[in-house]
Amino acid sequence: MAEVVMGSGPVKGQAPPSRWAQLKATLGAWGFMSPAAVLVLVFFFLPVIILFVISLTDLSSSNFSEPLTFISLGNYARLFRDKFFPKILGNTFFYVATTLICFNVGMALVLALLTTHINRRAGFFFRLIWLLPRITPSVIYILMWRRISHQPPFGLINQLLAPLGVEPQYWLFEQPWLFVILANGFVGASFGLILFSSAIEAIPKDFITAAKVDGASTWQIIRDITLPQIRWPLLFVTTYQTLSLLTSFEYILLLTEGGPGLYTTEVWALTAYKRALKTYFGHNQWGYGAAWGFVLVIIGIVMSIIYLRVFRFNELVQEPKIDVL
Amino acid sequence: MKKHGLWTVLAALVGLSMVLAACAAPTPEVVEVTRVVTEKEEVEVEVTKIVEVEKEVEVPVGGELVHIVARCKAAPPHEEGRCNNLVSAVGAANQALADAGDSRRIELEIIQDNADWGDYKTEFELASDAGEAPDIVCSGHEHIGDWAPAGYLVDVTGMIGDYAEFDDVIDALWAATEFQGSRWGVPQDAEARPMFYNKTLLAELDWSDADIESLPDRIMSGQFTWEDMFDTAEEAVNAGVVAEGNGWWHRPKNGGDFLYYYYAAGGEITGDGDALIFDKAAALKVYEKLYAAVDRGILSDTRLDGDWTGWHTGITDGDVLFMFGGSWNWAEWFSNYVVDRGGEDYLWEHFGFAAIPGMANGTGKPTTLTHPLIYMISSASEHPDLALLLISKATVKELNTDYAIASGHLGILKSQAEYGPYTSSKFLSQVLPLLDVTTFLPNSPYWSAWSNGYYEGILAAESGFSAEDALEVAVDYLQNELGDNVIIR
Repeated sequence: MAEVVMGSGPVKGQAPPSRWAQLKATLGAWGFMSPAAVLVLVFFFLPVIILFVISLTDLSSSNFSEPLTFISLGNYARLFRDKFFPKILGNTFFYVATTLICFNVGMALVLALLTTHINRRAGFFFRLIWLLPRITPSVIYILMWRRISHQPPFGLINQLLAPLGVEPQYWLFEQPWLFVILANGFVGASFGLILFSSAIEAIPKDFITAAKVDGASTWQIIRDITLPQIRWPLLFVTTYQTLSLLTSFEYILLLTEGGPGLYTTEVWALTAYKRALKTYFGHNQWGYGAAWGFVLVIIGIVMSIIYLRVFRFNELVQEPKIDVL
Repeated sequence: MKKHGLWTVLAALVGLSMVLAACAAPTPEVVEVTRVVTEKEEVEVEVTKIVEVEKEVEVPVGGELVHIVARCKAAPPHEEGRCNNLVSAVGAANQALADAGDSRRIELEIIQDNADWGDYKTEFELASDAGEAPDIVCSGHEHIGDWAPAGYLVDVTGMIGDYAEFDDVIDALWAATEFQGSRWGVPQDAEARPMFYNKTLLAELDWSDADIESLPDRIMSGQFTWEDMFDTAEEAVNAGVVAEGNGWWHRPKNGGDFLYYYYAAGGEITGDGDALIFDKAAALKVYEKLYAAVDRGILSDTRLDGDWTGWHTGITDGDVLFMFGGSWNWAEWFSNYVVDRGGEDYLWEHFGFAAIPGMANGTGKPTTLTHPLIYMISSASEHPDLALLLISKATVKELNTDYAIASGHLGILKSQAEYGPYTSSKFLSQVLPLLDVTTFLPNSPYWSAWSNGYYEGILAAESGFSAEDALEVAVDYLQNELGDNVIIR
């Protein structure tokens, strides 16, 4: 029969285990973790290292066949000399923050709360509907947005608003950020929606019942029971979606190509892609694009550290107070 | 946009969310919605058609069947002659081999689609580095500047003389194949990039038939300038003949066209050395023109929206007075856009074309630009002689004329000037004189970056930056990207 004791670590007065004993005790854990560790190393760390190495070269389509030439931090110097670097950085933070707050976390949370507080079947149905944009192929999805916001005499919005006397416009180009955020947000909200819904559903019903018996209002139940109970999924969704939005650009590329005009909706990842892989005349600067990409990796790491500290990650993952011997 | 309009659309969009989500499901209502705008146009832009053709070839006993792969970029259906002509030439090439007692025979595979130029170029570069490049690639001449020094191409200078068919190629076109004193391919087509005008709309501006018909001549003689074109376009906007922003349209995204604006303003791009030149005075004139065009309501500030679909539709629907396009647009329009309105006859009735008017404060001379496509042979090819033989058999007046008529491109052979089917093509014969004032893109490894920098300035000027600020944007970009490889003057 298992004996339960409070606390963890060596018992007072007892000699600490030898190094060999410690290693032996963790050998099994290392063995089990090693396949995953190898995968992480090969598919996460190695690409970052390769990215960094390429960013130190002038590798481009015009010298692809020649040996690599290392130019130290030349690409980074170019990047920071770029006249539009501050604008692109500002666009990136605006895009990430707005999409995250309004949709990927904000809308997801609201929808999760709503769909878990109505009839279970109806809630499931609405969550299913919100998943449809995510499973629609990107090009089809954005094609629909372009057609919705197209210039007069086309565009679904123009046709719907014409009877209301609203002047037809090229909505996409009049309000590019609105459509960039809506298009990304409608896809992004579903991720948080699913996680939040399942987390809310997992809260023991006794808590809610007890609160109701004590006369708590719905808002009080949400504020004092639901939100604290889903703190972990909130951290995860916020962090994951921040990193995801930082590196996502495909919907912007398909919707506005970073325009209209000069860098209006251009975000960092899109710039990296354009520099490295996509120009009209095929002027691919892989070294320079890699520098933009590597800076994005740094931004992502910094953001992750900030989130982990803000959400007090250590407290969330601290060892349990009870050990089973 | 008015504020109440924004709130209304926001409210409408929330309501539309369900519709949007439901669009993934094949409901009849959604099909109707997406059909509203121009399904056919998207097909034209985005569909990639890959054609692979292999023909049966008789190989003599002890002979060798050589597999040749050709890669072409072509808009379907009118440009498919680029690779299809090579298919048609296989028989003649194999016959030539038989006549010469050569036991080898050619089996051809073609890969043809309408990829973006950048993707197309990258594909060949990556394939070359991987040793898997096609034997023949048909691409823009300006790519020679990148590919020749990289070692991706076969220098055909010494081989051209072995094929009598190449003697027929118009001499001036060989210049487009040259880089550092060598020839790196064979011209496949040529073109002109004219100014199109809507005759019906000009008539609505009280232009007489004589005025309309004489416009090409007046442009060539310098009587009707770029500035006159803008004045006329502004008059059309003010008179309500065209909507604001529809007085004059240029292409909706970056491309070779914009270089002739710079030439028209007196700019030079190549000098004695390898470095490209960026003439600030000429570029400033271009940016001033574009800023003014938006400011005067002639050109929309959303014109560079990258939407070819809207561009073709707007023009062929008669919404635009003047537009800068390419000769191939003519074939594109009658093949894909006005088929149900009478095809080419409809175009002749409603549209005309001429050289690009001279810029009065620039060179004052009319201009256009030719962008020949070149058949090039990959250095990875194990049989460059057979590849060139095949190209030579496709470089004949019969095949090239079929392609030229179908695609709206110009012929490349001297013999076509007297070849009945070619000379009887009204469009080709009327476009041909534009070559007297034509210009080219440079064959330089720095052209792509130069073009991007210059285009940044164009984007800036059309999105509200002053011409001076737009120039600064371009200069900053060029200095940052090209360093010593561009001379800013």
